[in-house]
Amino acid sequence: MNETFSIRRIFEGKWTQGAIPLILLVGLLLIIEIAAPGFMTGETLALLFANTAVLFILATGVTFAILLGGIDLSIQAVASLASVMLAQLLPSLGFAAFPVAILSGLVFGILSGIVHVKLRVPSFVATLATGGVVTGLALWVSNGRAITIEEGGREKTAWINATIAGLPMVVLISAVIGIASFLALRYTRFGRQAIAVGAGEPAAWAAGINVDRTKIIAFAASGMLAAIAGVVLAARLSSGSPVLANQLLLPAIAAVIVGGTAITGGLGGVARTAVGALIISIVRIGMTFVGVNIFLENMVFGAVLIAAVAITIDRSKIAVIK
Amino acid sequence: MTLLPGRIATVFGGRRWRSLAPLAVLIVLCILIAIANPNFIELRNLVRLANSAAVPLTLAMGLTFIILMGSIDLSVEGTLSVSAMVVVLLAANDSNGNDYGWWAVLAAIASGTIMGLISGLVQTTLRIPSFMATLGMWFIGLGLSVYMLGGSAIRLNDASIRDLALHRFLGLPLAVWVAIGAFLLAAVIQYYTRLGRHILAIGGDEDVTKLSGVNVTRVRITAFALAGFFFGISGVLAAAQLGQSHAVIGDGRLFAAVTAVVVGGTALTGGEGGVVNTLIGVLIVTVLANGMILLGISPYVQQTVQGLMIIAAVALSLDRVRLRIVK
Repeated sequence: MNETFSIRRIFEGKWTQGAIPLILLVGLLLIIEIAAPGFMTGETLALLFANTAVLFILATGVTFAILLGGIDLSIQAVASLASVMLAQLLPSLGFAAFPVAILSGLVFGILSGIVHVKLRVPSFVATLATGGVVTGLALWVSNGRAITIEEGGREKTAWINATIAGLPMVVLISAVIGIASFLALRYTRFGRQAIAVGAGEPAAWAAGINVDRTKIIAFAASGMLAAIAGVVLAARLSSGSPVLANQLLLPAIAAVIVGGTAITGGLGGVARTAVGALIISIVRIGMTFVGVNIFLENMVFGAVLIAAVAITIDRSKIAVIK
Repeated sequence: MTLLPGRIATVFGGRRWRSLAPLAVLIVLCILIAIANPNFIELRNLVRLANSAAVPLTLAMGLTFIILMGSIDLSVEGTLSVSAMVVVLLAANDSNGNDYGWWAVLAAIASGTIMGLISGLVQTTLRIPSFMATLGMWFIGLGLSVYMLGGSAIRLNDASIRDLALHRFLGLPLAVWVAIGAFLLAAVIQYYTRLGRHILAIGGDEDVTKLSGVNVTRVRITAFALAGFFFGISGVLAAAQLGQSHAVIGDGRLFAAVTAVVVGGTALTGGEGGVVNTLIGVLIVTVLANGMILLGISPYVQQTVQGLMIIAAVALSLDRVRLRIVK
């Protein structure tokens, strides 16, 4: 048997899994630079980062859920609700609308976590359900319409669209969130426990880790970051809508998986998600560039998602694949 | 488990009560709505009720088999929109010169079946969990149909296909009879065929089923294709009812279908429940939606209520003693 050198073996090697996305990213950048010289300038890169920011914030949130071996299918709903809340509340509450919108995400994240953990509902169903609850609320609050952020409100969201020292504010926001999440996963007790739960829940449980609390915190983080993404998106588009972020669920999950975080949990992190989000973003730009119809984007991402899952998944961890 | 819902379930005698609970909920719901608004039991409203249950029922029939296996199919909306797109583009429409009549319907159902078949193949050959495989297929289907439709709504002009929604037989639109037919077919498959038994066995315990000599992979692929077949039929029904196909034809369908299956009492862990449960679940969801409109509650809250119903139903029905790890 010459199986040792099969492609599958190479893909399953641990170090290659971390390196492949990075190589892919560099490769993609090189291809674009060759095809359109001048791409690698500060200005276009800043634009690329700015366009990736919302996706990255969403993907960072869902990274927490995926690292635990779960999934959060409610992020697009939570982000949309946050955008509606911000647009609705800016005229009356002023700057206080920001924390309120973000807190709503935190609350629904905690709710997802509690439903998942306490009622023992699988996370994809629990978050599918809370996602429905949240979408219904967003539709109800906004009466099913998009809400434009008027002149007065736009003054208060202007800071998000500003640039500081040549860097767009959204890039700084996502950098801060990315670094904070990275540190939280690597250097805090919660982060360590989250990875332990993802790597082996029975062992983590036996070692005395409060599995339930860890999971609830992870889903809370996912919800809160989704809400922040929704707020940033609303500020950039000057509008909030109950379907604003619907198109972002798949790219966000794809970014996490393409970055090299396994859906089986325990392997991966925020740095990989950053690489994944950039890959997704560049592929999107590249498709427009090459002239692929914009409606086909979803097809490409769907196929990419399946391929990435198939490559990164740790099959030794699931006895029966359902 | 010291949680309240679990305790209530135990108090009511577990299994036996649980299997009757959905029916009881349906009856109580009907009585309450009828008291609040007598228009509910008017014949016209009952026909409307049956009509709006047709697509969800057909969809949920397919989904039931998948959930019975302990898997999930998130590609409901994608497959439905592909099938609706195929039927509209091949039958007489206002966008191209095609006019294949009922061949378009066959092609639509076939395309749904193929989508399901691909989901099954992806899940079993790449060995990835079904929710990820079908999440990918969901957006592949959606992207394909939106692309083919060019992002706009295209009208269905074929009169004989439109008759599915417009023509009535014994007072009920043909679409309702199609849905009833789909239900009977699903019931026959579940109770009287080897495939149905094997699906139930896989949901009960996949390892034991495999050791008993069942070709689990083949059963899984067939089940996904079967689900795609039902999604294909419901795509045709949806296109006939709306008289057109557009990008958002599938919106909210996945949610309604999952709610119906779960509320009917089919366990997400697999091996428990079936198409009869799902029939009751679909009726609960449709009656509730209809009742909320009659009572003047904003239709936007419907998804919220359905979401809460999923949570409540799953929490009540899961045999949680067996599960310590829930992912």
